[in-house]
Amino acid sequence: MKPFFNNKTNRSGLILIAAMMLFNVWNVIMNTPMVPEQHWAQKIFYIHVPSAWVGFLSYFVVMVAGILFFMKKDDYWDLVGLAAAEIGTVFMSLVLITGPIWATPIWGKPWIWEPRLTTTLILFLIYIGYFMMRTFGGHIERVKRYAAAVGIIAFVDVPIIFVSVKFWTPEIQSHPQVEMAQQPSEILIPFLLSLSIFTLLYVLMLKYRIHVIRINSRVRANV
Amino acid sequence: MFFTLLKKELFVEFRSREVTLSMLVFGLSIILTFALSSNVSPTIIANYAPGMFWLMVLFVAVIGVHRTFSYEKEFDAFSMLISAPIDRGFIFLTKWISGFIFLTIMEGLILIPFFKFLMIDFPSQPWIAIGTTLLINCAIMAIASLVSGIAMRARLSEVLLPILLFPLVSPVLIAATKISGSIMVGDPYSFWKIWLLIILTVIVIFGLVGYTLFDFITEE
Amino acid sequence: MLSVSNISKSFDHRTVLNNITFHVEVGETVIIMGKNGAGKSTLLRIIARIMACDKGEILFQNNDLLNGSPLVRQKLLYVGHASAMYTILSAIENLQLALRLRGTPVEISRIQDQLNYYGLTNQSNDPISIYSQGMLQRLKLAYASLASWNLLLIDEPFSGLDTEGIALVNKSLHRWKKLGKSMMIVLHNQSRAEELGDRILRIKKGLIA
Repeated sequence: MKPFFNNKTNRSGLILIAAMMLFNVWNVIMNTPMVPEQHWAQKIFYIHVPSAWVGFLSYFVVMVAGILFFMKKDDYWDLVGLAAAEIGTVFMSLVLITGPIWATPIWGKPWIWEPRLTTTLILFLIYIGYFMMRTFGGHIERVKRYAAAVGIIAFVDVPIIFVSVKFWTPEIQSHPQVEMAQQPSEILIPFLLSLSIFTLLYVLMLKYRIHVIRINSRVRANV
Repeated sequence: MFFTLLKKELFVEFRSREVTLSMLVFGLSIILTFALSSNVSPTIIANYAPGMFWLMVLFVAVIGVHRTFSYEKEFDAFSMLISAPIDRGFIFLTKWISGFIFLTIMEGLILIPFFKFLMIDFPSQPWIAIGTTLLINCAIMAIASLVSGIAMRARLSEVLLPILLFPLVSPVLIAATKISGSIMVGDPYSFWKIWLLIILTVIVIFGLVGYTLFDFITEE
Repeated sequence: MLSVSNISKSFDHRTVLNNITFHVEVGETVIIMGKNGAGKSTLLRIIARIMACDKGEILFQNNDLLNGSPLVRQKLLYVGHASAMYTILSAIENLQLALRLRGTPVEISRIQDQLNYYGLTNQSNDPISIYSQGMLQRLKLAYASLASWNLLLIDEPFSGLDTEGIALVNKSLHRWKKLGKSMMIVLHNQSRAEELGDRILRIKKGLIA
């Protein structure tokens, strides 16, 4: 199996996305407006929200991969599920780190039980359980089925978790940002750009991770 | 077949009393721990009572549901069920219903010690409290039975079960605490209607998901 | 009766069964033999739908066993190593339960007759947790005698039995063979295999040798 970046498309994709991400960071720092009262802290929003989007997208992919694994009985979907779970957890960790960084200067403390952050934390904990299941579930052929089941259950629970947390503490405002549709274009356009770049990064990371897991799997099978 | 399975669940428990007894004793231990570790005013205890109650129920449910699945592994008894020409979703449904029954029995026995040891007043609307408690038990056991079925054959299943279950069941815990809190202070139905809807949603969704997925997760 | 095609099974990437393909005809007794760990019990458990296979297809009486309705395995009976019964229940209660789950409840008098035949009358109302290995083996054979099946999958039926028990089991297996029932039996003893079986399948390194 050839190295992933031997492939011209993958190599070009890496260079392009790396360049776009550098541009994104520069754009956020230099070109986005300072929001009154939030100043520099608000700029984390351009990383925090796209990370959350990628995290939730990835967990959705885990659920779909789980369903397809059961329907098609194809191990490929287990690889996709595992790769998506890993990447999703990385991005969710980023959300849980950037959220308090953004919140501290605005709320005065790093953590309050804001609905989206709380949902992220709960989902993050579910996926820690997912990885523990993968490790302690038994032989790999059996673990694939359990992991697919957990991936499905986890994402099915997401809307219920979000609604319950939202009504749990209605007095706690959501993230200190106005609804996206009401944002001026100086904020909206860089945000959408950042969101798109993060999504492309996710696709590349997913492809790469599936490739690596597949190699690992073959090595273990041949040992 | 369904009623045969359900009767088996109830009969085995009636014979052994392992599940309800261990849940009851553990529940009493938790109440004692709460009482000893919270030397605060009755007003504060009363405010925290709904959360404490449902936390206790959750811990006890973990013990109970783990036991209802782990005895299936003795002498490979579970093979009798999964090799039989029956819909495996029935196994999930009967575990769910029997777990609900055992949990409800345990709660019925532990209610008086809970209120008396922590010196909390009984709810002013007992029938509404009982009705909502039954629905919440149903929701908890739906998720618990499904997760326990998944974790059953895993190494460290007794550790994996709470690790997977507690985050998944968090909406039920929030809803249960809100409902119980509202009923204890006599809030009208409109105040806690949304939480009841969340509980009903969990019952329907996890009931369906469990029934569907059990076919895929029961084989070795 | 049974058609097994390309069944494969691995445990942590260690291949135990590798594209196993064979048929069992109506009335045929097939003996499965092989070293310890060859995959004999694994094969039976896959056919019994207790264990999932990685890939392959199994047809039982021309119906898809792996993906079809549960009723496809109505006439397929698996008797494994473990008793597959509840320790807290008695022999009679376990047999009643197992038979009801198969959709073929049997009167208690017939159950008692079979337990008597297999020498378990005195312990028939005791929880099976107190049974010895030999007693559990006899109980499993009593179950096979009471259940309705066209194909029996039985794993080491003589294991743990005394001389009398071995004679009883031998008699039952020959009786079923005479009745034209199909069986797949895991055995270790070559002479017994040749005496009982119409055909011997040896599993070696995941393949049929």
